[in-house]
Amino acid sequence: MLTINHQNEKNLLECFFTGRLDTMASEEMHPTLNHELTNLQKSNPDFDQSKIVFDLKEVDYIASSFIRICMKTAKQVPQGNFSIVNCNPFVKKTFKIAGLDETLNIH
Amino acid sequence: MTDSIIDQADKIMEKAMLAAAEFQQFNQEQTDRIVEAVYKAGFNARVGLAKMASEETGLGNWKDKVIKNAVATQLVYNSIKNEKTVGVIATDQLSGITEIAQPLGPIFAVTPVTNPTSTVLYKILICLKTRNPVIISAHRSAVKCCTETVRICYEAALDAGAPEDCIQIITAGSRDLTHTMMSHPKLALILATGGTGLVKAAYSSGNPAIGVGPGNVPVFIDESADLPFAIANIIASKTFDSGTICASEQSIIVEESIEEAIRLEFERQHCYFLSPTEVKLVEKIAVNAETMSMSPFIVGQSVSVIAEKAGIKVPDGTKILMAKLDGVGRDYPLSIEVLAPILAFYAARDYHSAINICIDLNYLGGIGHSAGIYANNEERILEFSTLMNAGRILVNTPTSQGAVGGLFNNLLPALTLGCGTGGKNITTENISARHLINVQRVCRRKPNQNWFAMDFQKYLDESIDESILSKEYFKNN
Repeated sequence: MLTINHQNEKNLLECFFTGRLDTMASEEMHPTLNHELTNLQKSNPDFDQSKIVFDLKEVDYIASSFIRICMKTAKQVPQGNFSIVNCNPFVKKTFKIAGLDETLNIH
Repeated sequence: MTDSIIDQADKIMEKAMLAAAEFQQFNQEQTDRIVEAVYKAGFNARVGLAKMASEETGLGNWKDKVIKNAVATQLVYNSIKNEKTVGVIATDQLSGITEIAQPLGPIFAVTPVTNPTSTVLYKILICLKTRNPVIISAHRSAVKCCTETVRICYEAALDAGAPEDCIQIITAGSRDLTHTMMSHPKLALILATGGTGLVKAAYSSGNPAIGVGPGNVPVFIDESADLPFAIANIIASKTFDSGTICASEQSIIVEESIEEAIRLEFERQHCYFLSPTEVKLVEKIAVNAETMSMSPFIVGQSVSVIAEKAGIKVPDGTKILMAKLDGVGRDYPLSIEVLAPILAFYAARDYHSAINICIDLNYLGGIGHSAGIYANNEERILEFSTLMNAGRILVNTPTSQGAVGGLFNNLLPALTLGCGTGGKNITTENISARHLINVQRVCRRKPNQNWFAMDFQKYLDESIDESILSKEYFKNN
């Protein structure tokens, strides 16, 4: 569902998601993600410069609640430091339709 | 707005209104006689008009413009000649509904410089078929050829008994007059083919509009495709009238695994891959990087002219300049629509990445228009089609000639291609006569027996829920 890989030396937080990210799955993972981000914020004085990457390689569906999580997370770091990678075309089109592909820096 | 422009618009509209009043009394036979006469006159003038258009606009070449004129007359005529557009057009005994076609009224038809005479011929035919007077607005760089087209059609129409002033043309090239005409209270519809600004102005005028916007056509070549066939078709399409059709291929997207084979095949078929330095030089003359719009100076020009302007040398006989790009958007100017023999080329690491590039290109100014795929894999064709936001997905088909319909498929032949709401248009269809009538529905009494068998007191009782009322509604069905 959600695996987090924090590379301190690179100031990089990579989040690997898997499966179908519907409303329920999004709500379940949100506290974990929040917790991780809060810890990072507390422990890392350079949090402002952190890069957060959501890897959606193994994701085949995203609910609007997951898109909201992406937006909320993106707001916690300077513009351009949040990105989403490895979307499959169906997920990519979903972000396009939401009009968020540029805001969320989707590759 | 000056009084003279308003007066001018009023005079044109007054003539058009009188023509509309007379035209609406015509029956199907009279109407069809006029359309046939105009078709024949337009078709017979196809070569002269093509030469005039090519000479006056300096875009494309006259031979391909002959084909465009033939499509706009012969194919369009054959697609509408048997269509009922007057009076009762359909009767359904079962539903009790009879459909009656009524004309819309005066139509203001804006035409582009890239396809001037063909668009004028096509719009005149579909307007006359539906008994609508048409006012042609010619592009300022195509006034002479459009005026001649209108003259030929109008004379043929009058000879066949059409009302006076059923075809008019505005040749002044005045932006103010065009805008005054578009917002004229007596105008019935704007049929706008042109750039984004024009289409937006049409939709903002307060009058109904069928406006179609620009494209940015991505073409995916799948590993299952017949490569020599695919590339021959792409070249025939992209070079047609020097790439001036808005449905022409803009980018070729392939997987890295077949990049080399495709590159060799393009080269074998006389296309030239630009070096990174040459890409930059072509970018500079082809696209205004600030506004991210194509330069009008390269539209419809040949490879040799473009190469000369860019200051590069290419082999004699080069058909298309290929520009390999690493991305889509502002940093890659050639990723936008360029109506000239220049093709962006992308090699993606895998299938999904390739389709993602197609999505990015599709959304970069070409939403709703057209997309192409070469493949012999049904699953991929369907997946690609689902993922593109395009009114037309052309499969194993040259997109220029494929999108206009009637040549390579059974789409309605048209030079105005709807792009749906993504392109801020009302439809994704190819526009034809059927879009230019008001359909009245005469509804005979056919009571809904289920509804009238219900006890209506039960609808007033809040405690009775949908499942009970639904069961009762469908009882004995």
